Order: sequence, then structure tokens, then C-alpha cells
Amino acid sequence: MAKPRGTDGSLLSSLPWTIASLAMALMPHVLFMPLWITTAFLGCAIWRYSIERRRAALPSTWFRAFLALICFLGVLAVYETISGVGPGSALLAIMASLKLLETRKRRDQFVLLFIAIFLVMSALLREQYLWSLPYLVVGMVFIMTAWIRMSAEPSESVRRSFATGGRMMLYAAPLAVAMWVFFPRISTPFWAVPIDTSSGTSGLSDTMSPGDISSLSLSNAVAFRVRFDGDVPEPRERYWRGLVLHQFNGRTWSGSEPNIGRRASAQIEITGEPIKYQVTMEPTRQQWIYALDIPYRWTLDQTFMGRQQELARVVPIDQRIAYEVESYTQHRTEINLNSFAYDWYLAVPQGSNPRATEIAQQMRQEAGSDGEFIDALLAKFHNEEFYYTLEPPPLGSNPVDRFMFESRRGFCEHYASAFAVMMRAAGIPSRVVLGYQGGELNPLGDYMIVRQSDAHAWNEVWFEGRGWIRIDPTAAVAPERIELGVAESLFDGIGMEWGLAAPSMLLHQMQLSLDALNAKWNDWVLGYGPDKQNEFMRLLGMEDPSWRKMLLTLVTIVIALILLVSAILALRYRPPPRDRAAVLYQRFVDKTGLEPGIGESPDAYANRVSADCEIAVDTIHDITGSYLEARYGKVDPAALQRLEAQVAAII
Amino acid sequence: MSLIRWAFPRASGLFPSVSVAATRRVRRWARNRQGIDPDHIQLTARRTYILPTGVGLIYALTSLAMLLGSMNYNNNLSFLLTFLLIGLGFVAMHQCQRNIVGLVVSFAGVEPVFSGQAAQFRIAVTNHSKNPRYRIRLYLDSAVSDIHDLEPGESRVFVIPLATDKRGWVQLERFGIRTLFPFELFRSWAWLHMNIRGLVYPKPLDEVPEPPATQMALGHRQHDARGEEDFAELRRFVVGDSPRNVAWKAYARSGQLLSKRFAGADTSSQWFDFNAVESTDVEDRLSTLARWIVDADRTSKDYGLKMPGKDIAPSHGEAHRHHCLEALALFGLENDDG
Repeated sequence: MAKPRGTDGSLLSSLPWTIASLAMALMPHVLFMPLWITTAFLGCAIWRYSIERRRAALPSTWFRAFLALICFLGVLAVYETISGVGPGSALLAIMASLKLLETRKRRDQFVLLFIAIFLVMSALLREQYLWSLPYLVVGMVFIMTAWIRMSAEPSESVRRSFATGGRMMLYAAPLAVAMWVFFPRISTPFWAVPIDTSSGTSGLSDTMSPGDISSLSLSNAVAFRVRFDGDVPEPRERYWRGLVLHQFNGRTWSGSEPNIGRRASAQIEITGEPIKYQVTMEPTRQQWIYALDIPYRWTLDQTFMGRQQELARVVPIDQRIAYEVESYTQHRTEINLNSFAYDWYLAVPQGSNPRATEIAQQMRQEAGSDGEFIDALLAKFHNEEFYYTLEPPPLGSNPVDRFMFESRRGFCEHYASAFAVMMRAAGIPSRVVLGYQGGELNPLGDYMIVRQSDAHAWNEVWFEGRGWIRIDPTAAVAPERIELGVAESLFDGIGMEWGLAAPSMLLHQMQLSLDALNAKWNDWVLGYGPDKQNEFMRLLGMEDPSWRKMLLTLVTIVIALILLVSAILALRYRPPPRDRAAVLYQRFVDKTGLEPGIGESPDAYANRVSADCEIAVDTIHDITGSYLEARYGKVDPAALQRLEAQVAAII
Repeated sequence: MSLIRWAFPRASGLFPSVSVAATRRVRRWARNRQGIDPDHIQLTARRTYILPTGVGLIYALTSLAMLLGSMNYNNNLSFLLTFLLIGLGFVAMHQCQRNIVGLVVSFAGVEPVFSGQAAQFRIAVTNHSKNPRYRIRLYLDSAVSDIHDLEPGESRVFVIPLATDKRGWVQLERFGIRTLFPFELFRSWAWLHMNIRGLVYPKPLDEVPEPPATQMALGHRQHDARGEEDFAELRRFVVGDSPRNVAWKAYARSGQLLSKRFAGADTSSQWFDFNAVESTDVEDRLSTLARWIVDADRTSKDYGLKMPGKDIAPSHGEAHRHHCLEALALFGLENDDG
């Protein structure tokens, strides 16, 4: 046999497509996998292809087994587990590489194509961006084309396979969309979703150590998006409350674990009109839920207000979530502070930051009241040489002392920390709140974007009979930080030239439009959960949507669509219409009662039937003549009409 | 047309006998339902069956697993991927069936074979529609034809080999036409029960005695006996003339095939007599006669056949050979056949 050992000699037409689909499916994984896995895949693919080109033998079983063992141990060494999206897709990539090396027959490629489908699926589980949809569609077209080529004649043109695969996708797309819309969504998972820690997300850290980190990066990543029902609050009211830090060890502020107390909202007295809005929050893998200061009602399940009026969810936020909140800007919170808590909010480590403590106590004595002391301190920040910068010098031990008397440069954390320490030194209960401040309105989507760079720290101090009051010392130093947002306040300081600012404005406009698109995508595609589905079903006129009704609708629509596809296919594959002349001639033949023999010409038939048939001989010959003319002669409607009349006459 | 022969994947499993019995029952049902088909028939959707293949079942299970995964992760994009796969499955099902519906299948003849050889049934399949039909294959329980695509308007002859083991008629009771297109997730097929049969000559025995000498001189003389080696004339080659007598030199010159005729060549015809064969077994006798006829056909000699109740006058050529072998093949069977 001329065929090489171990192959059936016809993989060359389909193997490149199978490799291409695998490569396509693998693309989004590359950034998340160790480089050696990508290299191994490319190496195996090139090797396998060259084997096919050279018609050489495949590597031996022992070698493949050895390679498999090495790769498996490699994955285990990198991930330390084999469950979860990260290690799972790494294993799939390894399996694809090794399976390529043992692909002998065309049908072996089935396994590779199934692996490609799984790779696409795991990429979608990892990230769902706007580009994930084209990735899904193009990936599937590649896979289906490879699938068709696997069983097609080796000489079939790529164009034809591609057209066939694409057409199948086109037929399947409405079915898929219908099922997607009507398949009932459930909110609770069946089993615990393994948390993938391989992809980090930026959020707020649970502690704050001003002076340890000497620069703050301006991450443009979206923290959450907000859509207001009514008017958008003023910039100075856009304080998105997150977690509260109350413990200070001289260097680091920390809070307590989310402390669920159902009575916490009872500590709040509200007045005025609520601000109603909907937040779509990106996953943080933390429990904190952000809401405008101060949230009073919210729609998120398993979410409670902690003892320090922080919102937390029982389970970490692993997926993008949406919730509605009502907040009140006018409120009195925790008017009655018990003595235990009172002491708690005054605690500072003995002997730390002595100079700051001293000056705070001195200022308090000079001021007539707590309120005047606060004003004096804020005035000090405002009037003396304090600077707002994102790259302050490191501070070392006693950071508040060094900040207040030496560096005098810092961002929100430095000011909040110093402020809280000095309040406590002067005997005023105080704490630090971490969250976001500001937000940019996107006019294109009529919603607000709050970015990671809007992260902020501010203070709350407690007054007898008034409760907690929010004070933002950063506002005293850099009011534009509050009014304009962090990015613009800094650009202003740098003094950007017009020539540079203009293109960056254009870029910013583009970013905003992209973000508007993203928000829609998140809202309607990624966020299409039980609530959105119910809303959409009502929009479609379904009363009282239930999973039964939706499944019934799904089945009905799917059956209708399948019938439609079937009808289109039947139409495409229908035999050509019979020639009108042939139909008429058949009528004449039926009338004679004699079957034409195989290969008998119409003339011969006419002669034969003339003998024993009741139709007049002339008529028979007329009909035969008209038929031959109409069917085989030049296109002539007159001949057909004649035939029609002649046949009609005998019937 | 080359043939690839391998065993048709049988419906086997844990209980092969059960599934074989079930297969037989289903086929009987299909036959009773459809009746005997004419030699020329257009496949309709009513008689086209479809079932998922092994790969199709794996595909279905995969889709189900992906659906559960999507529900668990509440991931709308993987929902979309899953539903796309399910949709493709549905579309593939209809496409698979449409791929053979409307094809015209007609019997295109079968050459007689000797017993033990495979009868090559030729079946023509025509695609009258405007779309190509992909990956069409004809099959029996034991054998399959090549796979071919049929372009619009194309007609192609598929060959189904059917093993034979005794002389007489070999009946192609049933054959199937099937396709796995597009994704090999489904197998769509139709059973055809045409009343078609092929002739099987008796198998020529390898070791046979020389034809009895007494038979030699009884033939008619067709030409003058004027010496065996005397060249008489050239005449136009007719099928059945021995290649030894072709005037190859003349052919090289003129390009025309001519046969040399020898005046006086021993064209005395030979008679093969059924009753003269030294054997008690009928089949043995027929096989011996078959060998003699085949050998005699390779020479230029005329030969005749004497069967009980039937004589075939000595002659030569393809048609004569067939005539004689047919008589052997159907000896004793004609009456049964009606």
C-alpha cells in the first residue's frame, strides 16, 4: 500500500481547518495560560501538519504517553488543581495538542472539534466582553467548516465547505436566539461555582495604610454603572459608600468582617426625598455593595446592612450584579452611640503619632467647640501648604506625624487617616469610610460611570444628638477633586496644552460611546437574568410569566422555526417543475391508454397508437408535432398554446 | 469503478441477537409498508428514515452538559453557544434527510458472474434538484458502495457487490441509500425493494478431464477443409474472434482490426454433452461443462451445447458464450422460475 502507516491519507484537506479552529478557540486563553502551553500547542500543530505533508509516521505511543505525563504534571505544577476554568482550559489545550499527535483517521478529528467547542465555552465562562460574541460566532463557523471538511470529498473547495457551514449557522441562528430568549433563567446555581482566582479584579482593599504605597494608579476600569430614575445628584453628593474602617494600629486602618445586623437600618432616620437608582456592579470577589450615602432600601437578595451602615452580601460578588437602591442624602444615623462603641471610635494606639496628637489637642483647646475645631483643621489643610498628589513620598513609621509636619503631600487616604487620628486625639469619635466619590455621566447612554480611579476615602465624625456626619478633608485640599473628579483635577494641575487635550478629548468621546455600548451589552445580554427575562416577557405581552409558560412558548417557537427551516430546505431541494409541454403530452398519453416504450420516439409512438386508438389519426399527429415543437423547438409560446388547445379538444 | 468493501457496522451491542432480530423485524415492517418498488423511483420523504449516529448521541449529551453548565454559571454567552449547537443539531437533522429526498434511483443492470464471484449490481442515482447532494452511498448488509457527491443534474452509477455461492438467479432483495451529511450527527436512509436479479453461472471446475474425443467430429463444417494453415482471407474483426487471428501487422498499417481466416482450419465444431460428462452429480457436470465452454471460448473453435431437452447449435462469440452458460446456470431452475 502506498499509504503511510497509521493514516488514511486524506487528512490534508481537513486537518488545517481543524488546527485553525483549535487555534481560534484557544486565542482568548493565551493571556491566561503559561506560555509553554501555547508553545506546546503550536509546536504539536506544526509538527502534525508537517507529518501529514511529508506523509511521515506519527510519533510512537511511548513518546506520546511520556509527553502527556510531562504536560499533565506541568499543568498541576502551575495551577495546583485541575478544576476551575483556568486549569480546565489549560488541560483542554494540552489534550488538543496531544490528540493532534495521535490523529490518524479523519474521524479522530471529531474529538479535536469537540475540544474546540469546549475551549470556546470555557473562554466564555471566563470573560464576557463585547468581542466575545463575534469570537463565538467566528469560532463556530470555523469549527463547523472543519467539521464539514472532515467528511467531505478531499477535493471539495474550501469556499463550498465554508458556504455550507455558514448556511447551517444562518439557519440555526434564529433557533438559538429564540431558545436564548425563552429558556427560563434561574437565579441559584446547582452547585458551587469554583472561583477563578487567576484573573484578578481591581476593587477596594479591605485595609488602608497611607504611606506604604507611594503611588496610586489611575485604573480606568469600571467599578459600577448607575442609572438614576430622577435627577442626577450633584457631584458633591456623589459619595458611594463601601466599607467602614474603625481600627487604627498607628499605621494601618482596618475594619471588621462584614458584620450582619438586621437592625442596622433601624439606626437611620431619614428625611426628604429619596434618590432612586439602579447599580450594575462589576465583580469584585468581595462582599461590599456600593450605594449612595446613605442607602435605605435595596433589592439585592442576601444583602444586609452592617453595624457601621455598610452594605454587604453574604456571598462574594463573583459575577456582575444589578440592584436597585433608594438613598437619602438627609439622614441622622446612630444618634445613640453606646459607651462601648463610643470608646471604640476614639481608640488610637498609645504613643503613636505623638506630634499630631499633640497639635490636635492643642487646636481643640483653642477652638471653642468640636465644630469649630473641625473647621479649623479643614482650614489648616486648605490654607497651609498641603498638596494633593497621587505620588506622595513614603512615610515610614508614625505616618500621620510625618504627613502632617514633613511631606504634606498625599491623596485621599492620607488626609482621611490624618483627619481621623486627629479627631480621635481630640476626643471626637471618628472613622474612615472607603468607597467611591464622583462618577462621570455618559450622555450617550444616560447613565453614570464610576471607575476604579474614583476610589476615595473620607471620614465620619459623631456628634451628640446628631449622629454621624460625613466630612471629606480631601475636599478642603483639592475641592476640584470632588467637583471634577480625579482625572480632570490632575490634568488641570499638569496644565495640558490645548493641542494635546483636543485629541485626548476625542479619544475620551470614543471611550464613552464604547462604554455606552458595553453598558447596553451588560444590561441586555449578560444581565439577562430572571428579572430581566420577566420584564421582557411582560413586554411581549405574557401575563404573569412562569417557567412553564416560557418553556411552552419556547417549544412552540422552536417547532415553528424548524418547520420553516424544513420548508426552506424542501424548496431549495425541490425537483425542477415539469415541463408544461411534457405535462400536456402525458395527458394525451393517458388518454390513448397505451404506454410509450422505453426509447420509443414520439413519432414512432404516434404511428403505433394510430393503429389502435379511437383518437383521430390527424389529431394524434398534430399533437405529436406541436409537442415536439413546444418541447424541443425554439422557444415559441404559440406552439405550447396550440398543444394546449389540441389536448383540451380530445379531453 | 473501484470498490471498498468492509463490513457494514452492525446493530450490535450487549444483546446482538436481540438487536439483529429487531433489525430484521423493522426491515420486514418497512418492506410490508413500502411494497415492491419499480426499477425507477423517486425517493419521497415518507420513505426516508433518520436516526442519530453515535457521534450524534455524543453531540446531544455534550449539548445537555453544556446547558447544565450554562444554567449553573448563569452565563448568557455560554447559553447562546449551547443553543447554537442545539439549533445546528436540528438543522443538521433536516438537512440530512433533505439530502436524499427527491433523488431518483434506478436499476442500471448487472453483469452475469460465475458462482463465488460478487455480482456487481449497478444502481444509477440522479439528482434533479438545483442543489448538490453530498456524501451519498448505497449499501447492503454486507457491503457498501463508494461515497459520491451528486452535482445538480448529475447522474451517477453506484455499484453494489453481492456475494454469490450458487448458480441461478441472485436476487437483490433490498438495498439502501444513505447519507451522513452534513455533520455525521444523523444517518438518513431509504430502503429500496426493487425486483432485480442477476444471473450466476456455475463455477467452472479447475481440474476437468479433456472433453470426450467422440464429440470432436460431430460438428458442422462451416468452411472448406483445405488445409489447416492455408491463409484464405482477411475479414473485418467481429467480437468473438480470437486475438491470435487478428492481423496485427495490418492493424499497425491501417488502424483497422482485421481477422485472418484460414481456409481448411479445423473449424469443425465441438459439442459438449451434459450426459457425456463422467460424473453423477448434476452440479459437478454443470461446472465441468462451464469449464469446457470457458476454455473453448478462448480458442477460435465453435462449440455447441447439448442439454437434456435443449440443444444450442455450435457457434462462437460473446453472445453464444452467454447463451450456453445461461443454459447451465438455469438448468433445472427454469420451471421454478415460471
